[in-house]
Amino acid sequence: MAPLLEVKNLNYSYGNILVVKDVNLYINEGEIVTLIGANGAGKTTTLRTISGLTDASGVKGEIIFNGKNIQKMPGNKITSLGLCQVLEGRHIFSKLTVRENLLVGAYTRKDMDNVKKELEEIYTLFPRLRERMEQLGGTLSGGEQQMLAIGRALLGKPKLLLLDEPSLGLAPLVIREIFEAIVRIRNTGMTIMFVEQNSKIALETADRGYVVQNGQIVMEDTCKNLASNEEVKKAYLGED
Amino acid sequence: MLIQVVISGLVIGCVYGLIALGYSLIYKASGLMSFAQGDMLTLGAFLGYSFYGIFKLPFVISLVCVVLCMFFLGLFLEKAIIRTLLKNHVLPVYIVLATIAISYIIQNAAMLIWGTQTLSFPQIFPIPLVGVLGVKVQPEALFCILMSLVCMVALHIFMKYTRFGTAMRAAAMDATAARACGINVSFSTGVTWGLSAGVAATGGILLGPIYGVYTMLGAIIGRKGFSSAVIGGFGNMYGAIVGGILLGLVETCTSAYISSAYKDIISYSVLLLFLFVKPTGLFNEQALTD
Ligand SMILES: Nc1ncnc2c1ncn2[C@@H]1O[C@H](COP(=O)(O)OP(=O)(O)O)[C@@H](O)[C@H]1O
Ligand SMILES: [Mg+2]
Repeated sequence: MAPLLEVKNLNYSYGNILVVKDVNLYINEGEIVTLIGANGAGKTTTLRTISGLTDASGVKGEIIFNGKNIQKMPGNKITSLGLCQVLEGRHIFSKLTVRENLLVGAYTRKDMDNVKKELEEIYTLFPRLRERMEQLGGTLSGGEQQMLAIGRALLGKPKLLLLDEPSLGLAPLVIREIFEAIVRIRNTGMTIMFVEQNSKIALETADRGYVVQNGQIVMEDTCKNLASNEEVKKAYLGED
Repeated sequence: MLIQVVISGLVIGCVYGLIALGYSLIYKASGLMSFAQGDMLTLGAFLGYSFYGIFKLPFVISLVCVVLCMFFLGLFLEKAIIRTLLKNHVLPVYIVLATIAISYIIQNAAMLIWGTQTLSFPQIFPIPLVGVLGVKVQPEALFCILMSLVCMVALHIFMKYTRFGTAMRAAAMDATAARACGINVSFSTGVTWGLSAGVAATGGILLGPIYGVYTMLGAIIGRKGFSSAVIGGFGNMYGAIVGGILLGLVETCTSAYISSAYKDIISYSVLLLFLFVKPTGLFNEQALTD
């Protein structure tokens, strides 16, 4: 079977600065895949380009999602095809309530009865969101905002969920909580790709991983193999 | 006397509020100011005059036609001019300048189409005066207040309780996140400009029967509407309404109890006072840069 997402020779440049260089990657249905790499390696740009959220004039290459080339499609259309992204830095609508934030996530949906059911499921996954339902998004703590961002993306009914640094700026305990939720989402059969700078937790969570360096993919393997690779250990896991 | 003053204060105040609403919507959605807001009011009044006074359509139909025409004009201006300039990455001040250009073009076009005379907008109601709390007022004045309030409430319900309204607010807060949620941000921004034009035009068709219709009708009202938006807290919908009504009342009270010669001195002094004492406006929008 063809992969759910296939990225071929993807290049992205901001003006004339090339930051994503000939990236090739794929994700099969049901997989959980991670992209690890240092700050500034081009992970966010890659993810945003896949979602159609970067300037289209800087993109080259092919992005095939669910059998369709989406490379020239505007971001809002891509979302409605079921490719939803939890953005780096969460991007909560600060002056909308938690509930409104979640419902905006379901903006492309017509099946409101299912949305209502799924809203309940989100509240079960993240009980703290239910408690804060009528609170403004901007008043939540970092961890709660991350839960909200994930819930909002899930309400778009993704076939593929992208997450950009879900651990960013969170305390270790909260990171654990977020990753437990990601595993639970994954166990429902969701296909997931996430970006992490916290390589340890990334390699523990995912099936497969890509290592990104200076805009290029320099390694790809199962997370088990990556975690025991000497170079990865040195550069990303802080071991000697 | 007081009741009369309050009523005329509310009439003009509500219209300032409508204009201010437009300023706030546009500012929230695009981070810009449109100095053509006042001329949208003028154009609304002229179109209303044509539909109602010349083509003799029923008033309600005329109102709907005016709002629709102006909605599409606003949408068009955003798409054709504002968005094109934004794509060329010009400084925001150039775009504000472009709205000033649009303002003059509308004024001049209106002059060519409808002439330089003040046109009298035919009455909407069969009786010229009605009694309210012992004073006689034009029924159109009461209608203006009522319709403005209805318009504000309708807009509030639309923005707060409909899916598309919520999406518009979301897009105004964070365009990237909105796009990631599947919202067509360029469309929702266009609709915001359209709504602002429609709301301003409603002010024009409501004010026409009371003030008469002329090319400069909206010029001063537009500036006062801008002031109202600042007094209320620039970018805040509710602040815009309260700011408008407050400014309208200050102005008419000054005219009535001091002298109409001081009207603008006092109302602009109030504005300056707000800028110094409470730059965030009544409703505490962020007005301070870091
Ligand atoms: N809007 C932008 N304009 C110009 N350069 C940018 C922009 N955003 C990111 N970059 C550059 O692109 C490179 C990759 O950034 P990014 O994709 O955010 O990396 P990562 O997510 O891996 O930290 C960095 O060198 C960064 O400075
Ligand atoms: Mg990043």
